[in-house]
Amino acid sequence: MISLQVQNNQSFRLDEIPFLDKHKFTDSVAEGLTNGYRMIGLFPLHKNMPHKIISALVDSDAASLHLIGGEFQKDKLEFESLANQFPQTNYFECELAENYGFIPINHPWIRPVRKQSTVLGNKPYQFYKLEGPEVHEVAVGPIHAGIIEPGHFRFQCHGELVYHLEINLGYQHRGIESLILDASTNQRVILSESIAGDTVVGHTFAHCSTIESLAGTQISLRAQVIRSIVEELERIAMHLSGLGGVANDIGLAIVASSYGRLRTLAINSLAEISGSRFGRGLFVYGGVRYDFNDENIRQITNKLEVVKNDSAVINNFLFSSTGALTRFEHTGTVSKDFAQQIGLVGVVARSSGIESDTRIHFPYGAYRYFPVSLITLPSGDVFARARLRALEIDESLRFIFEQLENLPGGEIKINVGSIAPCSGVISIVEGWRGEIVHTAITDEVGNIVQYKIKDPSFNNWYGMNLALRETAISDFPVINKSFDLSYAGHDL
Amino acid sequence: MELISLLKGIISLLVILILSPLFVGLVNKLKAIFTGRIGAPLLQPYYDLKRLFRKETINSTNSSFISVVSPVINLVTVVVAAAMLPIGFARPIISFEGDIILFAYMLGLARFFQILAAMDIGSSFEGMGAAREATFAVFAEPIFFFTIGSIAFINGLTSIYDIYHSIRLDNVSYLVFIIVCSISVFFLAITECSRMPVDDPNTHLELTMIHEVMILDNSGIDLFLYQYSSYLKLFIYAILETSFFYPFGVRSYTVGVVIFVVVITILSIALSISETITSRFKMKNIPQYLLFATAIGILNLLIYTFTK
Repeated sequence: MISLQVQNNQSFRLDEIPFLDKHKFTDSVAEGLTNGYRMIGLFPLHKNMPHKIISALVDSDAASLHLIGGEFQKDKLEFESLANQFPQTNYFECELAENYGFIPINHPWIRPVRKQSTVLGNKPYQFYKLEGPEVHEVAVGPIHAGIIEPGHFRFQCHGELVYHLEINLGYQHRGIESLILDASTNQRVILSESIAGDTVVGHTFAHCSTIESLAGTQISLRAQVIRSIVEELERIAMHLSGLGGVANDIGLAIVASSYGRLRTLAINSLAEISGSRFGRGLFVYGGVRYDFNDENIRQITNKLEVVKNDSAVINNFLFSSTGALTRFEHTGTVSKDFAQQIGLVGVVARSSGIESDTRIHFPYGAYRYFPVSLITLPSGDVFARARLRALEIDESLRFIFEQLENLPGGEIKINVGSIAPCSGVISIVEGWRGEIVHTAITDEVGNIVQYKIKDPSFNNWYGMNLALRETAISDFPVINKSFDLSYAGHDL
Repeated sequence: MELISLLKGIISLLVILILSPLFVGLVNKLKAIFTGRIGAPLLQPYYDLKRLFRKETINSTNSSFISVVSPVINLVTVVVAAAMLPIGFARPIISFEGDIILFAYMLGLARFFQILAAMDIGSSFEGMGAAREATFAVFAEPIFFFTIGSIAFINGLTSIYDIYHSIRLDNVSYLVFIIVCSISVFFLAITECSRMPVDDPNTHLELTMIHEVMILDNSGIDLFLYQYSSYLKLFIYAILETSFFYPFGVRSYTVGVVIFVVVITILSIALSISETITSRFKMKNIPQYLLFATAIGILNLLIYTFTK
């Protein structure tokens, strides 16, 4: 396998990447995937030069990233699809076809990913349809009854049983990737805060890391620790909200409202440090904007103590309630085998027994010095996904208490140097939902010419199709909530 | 005497018609309090009805006259059923030998038209809800006849008023029999009124709804009629449940009314607690739950008959 091997947040020169011809490129990527690597990106080097593409693969065991370049004929953007053999490449290939006009040959199911209006190969997209006298189709969305983002779900059902679910997204497409390219330096952090409204910290963390790595800036340890604390706060808040959502979907009112109350404490802790309950405005290039002092450490500690004590009681109630367990167990199961094949990441992957946590496998920032524990559960059902959240909250709380007690001294912000020309960097961050990948490529004068974002939702939406097979349609809401995926993060 | 009795019957019906939204409001308010929220005002169901009453009705272009007549039939049949219920010890307006059958099938007719109207709209959601409602109704119907029906069978009475009037808790085995009956009726009430854990009245998730999904496309007066009849239905079942407790009181109208108010309040507390701490069943487990309630009814009848 011919590739350039780099590490998380390590900037590389573009001429170091081996650019192979069409066939060798396909063979090399296939070889990497056969070795058990996972695809995290497939995109052209420059949005105006689509014929030179990079495929990025991660090797979790060796904590390394493999970059494989491919150079195609300028007028014939075709490549041999790997999706039949490696289903995880499916969406990446579709996205490449949608955004840059590539034609994946022998692709099993080419479909729009991020944009609604796209016509692929001059044909409008036809939804998958099951036929038969007793089969019926239920279409939900894109406008929903609750306050959630738009997404269209088509169920092919036989009575209450779902045979197939097709998820159609792209209603939130804002073109964030090109907005970031066009934006001024000051606007970029603000833009990255809006990639997914529930993962403000995760995405800004990844964005700041890419820029700092390209500039060769090492931020202070204090700033790194503050960033990690804030990231864990976001994880706690969103996991509490996810648990509340799951409880609400099975009608367990007392648990739902209790988690809701605790989530308020968690997001208020975020507000203590950044002034925004979602952590907006905290991240800047070169560090963080606000520092911890004795007063806000005390406030946050008090709030999190309540979260710790009360969540123990509520978790105990929820996970020992027979009614809840009947709904959770063996509902929406994704087997480990399937999860690996389709390349699931984050909470969903870990609850299917896959050891995948960027904080441990590709340590970055403060996690290099202060590790967190890897938690996995084997069953892959709604129970595992809910339980894993509860366990991760405890682990995040432990991490935060430990860090708050002995914060390293030093500046919280340093100046960032100039961005290296003709370089690229891949930053991976474990957001609360899972692996967030930001990639930046620069030109000869150090302008960013390509910026790619991969939210964990991009991998995991596909997992929900599988989780819904042979399941009762009335279990869809609780399964959906247990995945808790982002529409905005997927559509970009 | 005839006139006074008639007057009491009319007052009873008016009480049911006027107070039924309050019962829902009370349950919702208590539920909010138990989950640590302030909750909507006690009178919110009245405000909702008032708002719906003023709104325009829009029907699906696919729908036929069924969708137009169904809300009215639905409310009328439920009101007729309400007119057969005793409050306190007053004889209801409609009361005759065999009215228990009429009562059961008035509610059955209301459901029948609601299911028809849901299918009539032609949306896959409503169709799904109608299928669920019809399936679960099959399992729910026997519960009624093995509870209220078995009291009737034992006493040889067939009028709801007489049945409840005949309940005397003077021997232990009869007391146990009545208490078990009231448990079965509680199960029935939860199913018929689409409450937790069978159906979640507060959910926004179309795919999990049973009753709510059938009226998803209704608006204005139609929705007003449906909502009001569902409030009435809940209150009717609450009264069926409370009527079991009358024999504890002195047989006078005033004492009857006091017991009515107290028991209704207790019932709303019980309902809101059970709705707060239970989670919904899997859809496929609901028939088991209903068969369980039916089995309780059958066993109860058998045990009483053989131990009498």
